[in-house]
Amino acid sequence: MKTNWLLGAALTASALALMASPASAATKFEFWYGLSGDLSEKIQEMCSRFNASQADYEIVCVSQENYENNLQNTIAAFRANKQPTVTQISDGGVVDLMLSGAFLPVRQLMEENGYTIDWSNYNSGVASYFSTSTGELLAMPFNNSTAMFYYNTDALKAVGFEGLPATWEEVEDVARKMKAAGYECPIAMDPTGQWQWWEQFSAIHNVPIATNGNGFGGLDAEVTFNQGKFVEQLTFYKKMFDEGLMVHKSKAAGQTANEAFIAGDCQMASSSIADHGTFGTQAKGKWDVAMLPIWAGTERQNSLVGGAALWTLKGKSAEEYKGAAAFYNFIATPEQAQHWSTITGYIPVTNTGFEAMKAAGFYDAAPYKGRELAIQSLTYTPAGEYTRGVRLGNFGAVRVEIQKAMQSVIFDGADPKVALDEAAARSNEILRKFEQTYKGQQLP
Amino acid sequence: MERRAVYRNKVLPWLLIGPQLILVLVFFYWPTSQALYWAFTLEQPWGGGNLWAGLDNFLYIFRDSRYWATVLRSAFYALAATGISMFVALTLASFVDRSLKGTKIFQSVFIWPYAIAAPAAGVAFRFIFSPEAGLVGGINELWPGIWDPSTNGIQALAMVIICHAWLGIGYNFVFFLAALQMIPRSINEAGAMDGARPLRRMLDLQLPLIAPTAFFLLIMNIISSFTDSFGLIDTMTEGGPVGQTEVMVYKIYVDGFKGLDYSGAAAQSIVLMLLVIGLTFIQFKWVERRVHYN
Amino acid sequence: MIERSPYFDAFTYAVMIIGLGLVVFPFWVVIVAASQSLQEVSSVPISLLPSDQLWVNLSEAWERGGLGTKMLNSMIVSVGVTIGKITLAAMSAFAIVFFNFRSRMICFWLIFITLMLPLEVRIVPTYAIAANALMPFQAILDVTGLTWLVQTVSGVQVSLNWNLLNSYTGLILPLVATATGTFLYRQFFMTIPDELVEASKMDGASAMEFFWDVLIPLSRTNMLALATIMFVSSWNQYLWPLLITTDRENFGTAVMQLRFLIPTMNGTPDWNVTMAAALIIMLPPLLVVAFMQRWFVRGLISRDK
Repeated sequence: MKTNWLLGAALTASALALMASPASAATKFEFWYGLSGDLSEKIQEMCSRFNASQADYEIVCVSQENYENNLQNTIAAFRANKQPTVTQISDGGVVDLMLSGAFLPVRQLMEENGYTIDWSNYNSGVASYFSTSTGELLAMPFNNSTAMFYYNTDALKAVGFEGLPATWEEVEDVARKMKAAGYECPIAMDPTGQWQWWEQFSAIHNVPIATNGNGFGGLDAEVTFNQGKFVEQLTFYKKMFDEGLMVHKSKAAGQTANEAFIAGDCQMASSSIADHGTFGTQAKGKWDVAMLPIWAGTERQNSLVGGAALWTLKGKSAEEYKGAAAFYNFIATPEQAQHWSTITGYIPVTNTGFEAMKAAGFYDAAPYKGRELAIQSLTYTPAGEYTRGVRLGNFGAVRVEIQKAMQSVIFDGADPKVALDEAAARSNEILRKFEQTYKGQQLP
Repeated sequence: MERRAVYRNKVLPWLLIGPQLILVLVFFYWPTSQALYWAFTLEQPWGGGNLWAGLDNFLYIFRDSRYWATVLRSAFYALAATGISMFVALTLASFVDRSLKGTKIFQSVFIWPYAIAAPAAGVAFRFIFSPEAGLVGGINELWPGIWDPSTNGIQALAMVIICHAWLGIGYNFVFFLAALQMIPRSINEAGAMDGARPLRRMLDLQLPLIAPTAFFLLIMNIISSFTDSFGLIDTMTEGGPVGQTEVMVYKIYVDGFKGLDYSGAAAQSIVLMLLVIGLTFIQFKWVERRVHYN
Repeated sequence: MIERSPYFDAFTYAVMIIGLGLVVFPFWVVIVAASQSLQEVSSVPISLLPSDQLWVNLSEAWERGGLGTKMLNSMIVSVGVTIGKITLAAMSAFAIVFFNFRSRMICFWLIFITLMLPLEVRIVPTYAIAANALMPFQAILDVTGLTWLVQTVSGVQVSLNWNLLNSYTGLILPLVATATGTFLYRQFFMTIPDELVEASKMDGASAMEFFWDVLIPLSRTNMLALATIMFVSSWNQYLWPLLITTDRENFGTAVMQLRFLIPTMNGTPDWNVTMAAALIIMLPPLLVVAFMQRWFVRGLISRDK
């Protein structure tokens, strides 16, 4: 046993000595992200472009399959001091990271490395989610989107509807007509899609999910999604399911909502604008995209941004930070940003970027026509108290409660108010536990 | 354990037992103490600080009705899977015990499920049971929507239990067969001569004699329902729908690693470990009793 | 069941055939599905006869899952755990049974308690130390002032940092740490008659010579039995590799990979490829169980005594 630690010490010493020698080759740094499949390949492409564009830094991009896995693995690596320099964290994982102090604010990073970025150029709807409560960006926006409603226009024509529905009343009406016309699945709905069916609903109808301005104001927020319009909306979804106007489509059911829409099995679906490109290449039949429906008579507000931003983690070397800064600068250049928004459905995150693409006629024709609606949806109104995002601790766990409530109502026939009340009670417990874990700390 | 012929070296035994002791210390006792630390404090996911919480984490889970639902579900899962598995294995072992011609082949095949990893079986059974594929799902052609484990929690749980039972058949079969083969033929023949039919003999003679083995298997199966279940559930249902296939180990995984509630998961882990130690203790006492009885 | 009536015999065969069906059915489904094309595997109801796409699907599964590396990793881990367990367990059991040293019983119980707590039940604790498994030693060094001493004397900062992420040691060692093998060996060693030990002593042999020349040869069958059980069990590990591997491409194990081959969101439901992958991954332990059955069964049963 004595030999063990001596050996260990000797090994560590020699390892340290080796590491101190100057690095001659390009500085390598790692970037972990949570996308898979088609989108993952696009990121890999982006990474090779960066590597090809300069010789000082080499980025190594690793896919962790999905946002959840990426968060989990990044945390595991961080605890073991093996974290990547750059990691892609989505809206749900943001608050834990913010309070942990485990990251380097992006503004600081860019300043220290001599890059000047016009931070006000970033789309306010996008930026607010990843900024301090006073509006300073903490992470680099990267792949951002919002939720849209997709329609199979062949089916709309078949039931005699002109244009695209804009209100829930119209959606319900069209669904009923489609069902009567023999379409088995008017709307594909996945109750675990609480982002597009629940959170977005709250934003565009201007109802808060939680107090303290959806949590931005402090850790003592409480959830409010078991009241008023929320209960009505869940009751509405239940009614649609019972009448067969909404059909359950998810991975567990063997066909996801998107797959169903692509295959033409379902005629309407709600998904991220990021899928606009995928639908373009794979969907059968004619389709189009529109902003999310609202209830007639409501004043539409801007929708919530989705997707993720790039966070720089603490504990890496100065060289690696230089590399990360260079990478951020690279993806922020107009050409790269436009390229990214072309090959994927993600929206341009800067105002000038969007304007440039619009001026160049990008959005005038297929296959990109319709994507500008995402920007329109995100900027319909300036980001307000209930529409700048959701900042709740352990939001992932709260989201699971919302999903469970929706599932129990839709699958098991639970009463909407009761299910939502239970979800709210549990969510508040989660929030209190979170508050206690970070006692005395303030949200940035 | 007392033998007369032993060695008297002072240092050698420590060198021999050292490596395993170190491993056990590093990978068992040290982690357990760390988990206790997490369970009594509030651990931040990214590290960086703990806040003393006393018994709060434990009280929190004991007050949680969903936790108790999970415990009950785990108990049901354990008993159902064990029951089905042991029943099938015992039946097969009883008939194989007759040693008719050609049973050797059957015997070797019946062990196969033991070799299969839980996720592999999970994937295979998921395909067998999937509502849109052509096996069990075929029934949906006749009665649309009747079989849908993605929305029906009871069906999902049944699916997982059946798969788990299948996995256990090999293990249970080996033990039951060995136990049956240890019963002297004379006892069986005496019973037959007394006019007892096979089923009667099974119930009155053989069952009591293999009871210790059965009890051992009961405990081992229950423990396996804590371990193998993870691989099954993660590949078949991921705890859904609506958490209705979440058993204790899976809940620990979901709460801790997906929900980032390390302290809560640690508290649940401590409770689970105590439970398993308790079961082991019971089993050990019973086995000891049998050994002395013999 | 002594009767020799033909009816009862027929009934016996019937039962066994049904049992065979039950046990073999999932294997059959896997093979059949792995040999079908996408249309065939998606058809409802599915045909239960194998088709001709087996090789195509197998290569596709191999490619897609990167199964070459994964199977190699699994092999390294399984062999590592097997060898580790056999050696360590033999040594520890030898010490416990054949030596009379202070704290012998304490050591025995310390090791024995780990017998019944498999890794799944301990994931949170084991994960807790995965960041730095040497922390207790580091703590000891710090507290006793040795770190400070070494630093002042040689300028070297002793920082014992051993993290288990993405490493073979991380995959192997936590699995070696339980007491299954030790228990098995202990039971066996206890049946070694005293006369053998005394004879060896009278020949002037040392303890280690007794170990090598007498005990090990006698334990050969036990070792084989333990080896088969350990190989199967470590090949089939799922949860621990899942947690400890962030670099799935290089350090993922075969069984872990299955989860990522289930037909996912943006893909087609190509269960035929998934089943082909399952077939590949199931094969090694199945071969071990099928061909090493005698030892395997003996190993399982003698655990109990």
